[in-house]
Amino acid sequence: MSPSGPRPLFLDGPAGPVFAIYHPPDPQAPHDAGDIVYVPPFAEEMNQSRRMAALQARHLAAAGTGVLLLDLFGTGDSGGDFATARWETWLGDIAAAMDWITAAGRPLAGLWGLRLGAALALEAARTRAGGVPRLLLWQPVTRGRTFLTQFLRLRIAAALGGEEDGANRESTESLRRRLAAGEAIEVAGYSLAPALAAAIEALDLSALVPPPGTRVGWIEIGAGAGAEPAQAAPSPAAARVIAAWQETRPEDHAPVAVRAVPGEPFWAIQSWLEPVLVPALWPVSVDLWQELGS
Amino acid sequence: MATIEEIKMVLRDTLQLGDRASTFDASTPLFGSLPELDSMAVVALITAIEERFDLIVEDDEITAEVFETVGSLSDFVERKLAS
Repeated sequence: MSPSGPRPLFLDGPAGPVFAIYHPPDPQAPHDAGDIVYVPPFAEEMNQSRRMAALQARHLAAAGTGVLLLDLFGTGDSGGDFATARWETWLGDIAAAMDWITAAGRPLAGLWGLRLGAALALEAARTRAGGVPRLLLWQPVTRGRTFLTQFLRLRIAAALGGEEDGANRESTESLRRRLAAGEAIEVAGYSLAPALAAAIEALDLSALVPPPGTRVGWIEIGAGAGAEPAQAAPSPAAARVIAAWQETRPEDHAPVAVRAVPGEPFWAIQSWLEPVLVPALWPVSVDLWQELGS
Repeated sequence: MATIEEIKMVLRDTLQLGDRASTFDASTPLFGSLPELDSMAVVALITAIEERFDLIVEDDEITAEVFETVGSLSDFVERKLAS
């Protein structure tokens, strides 16, 4: 590993050690643009998107932005079991990552998150004194309730074709009742704590208005996206959130910059051999990140 | 039928089937026959169908019968669209 190559490290998170990989900015880059923290998505989505995130980090580093890739507490190589993971702990992990950057004497350029990680990044930016300069959101989860339903369905789908296919079979409704009664629910190998489920259930991105000083870039990835990423019309879900933000943000504030990249939902596709990649996303993200900083 | 072609596209994109999907017809078996169709893929497929056709799939509609063949899945979507 060269001195300027990616290096693994552990941060002191509020609940225990948090594993991270730091990609320093390439010394050959035209200018040093500070560092950002990457917040991964939830459960299996994190595993499926690991390579996309690492390769994006390389592209950002080549363009002069250092990237700190996190494993949130209870996931990946960080301490704790998934059952002990909590929303507040994850926010604390992100805060610790931002502190690590500033303690190293590096400028904090902002946060970047995918899916549920985008919502976490947004909330972490809101609670940071002074906010953060820039936020890059990849296909953010906009309604926690819908997202939780999709996650709980993994358990319903796993029972497909089994003996429970009759009247007594589970539903997302019955799983929600058990969570509400304080029971942890096992879904696709992840033990979901009632407190974490409740935090996800309550998430509404439209209520998480970005801080006044933060410039936001929002990238949608999907089959429906146009071939031309510049100036795409946001999906109805994104449009709802952005309109709600715009109502509360000062009128002279820069609008949310939206891009659409055609491609497969790489975070959602179970791939046993090669991970699904959407290479078109990398340059679009680098360009958007630089535009937000100009 | 237009829906069969659209279902094949959704299957191709969601399950990473590539050109294999173009050989599918209504009788092509899915659940239990297609190794790519595990529980995570079933959920990804339902989500993609909900988004593409703007409909909501209820829990009790997630059955092995619906996912038996390309045709049974396409019939299901057509019933949902007609209701």
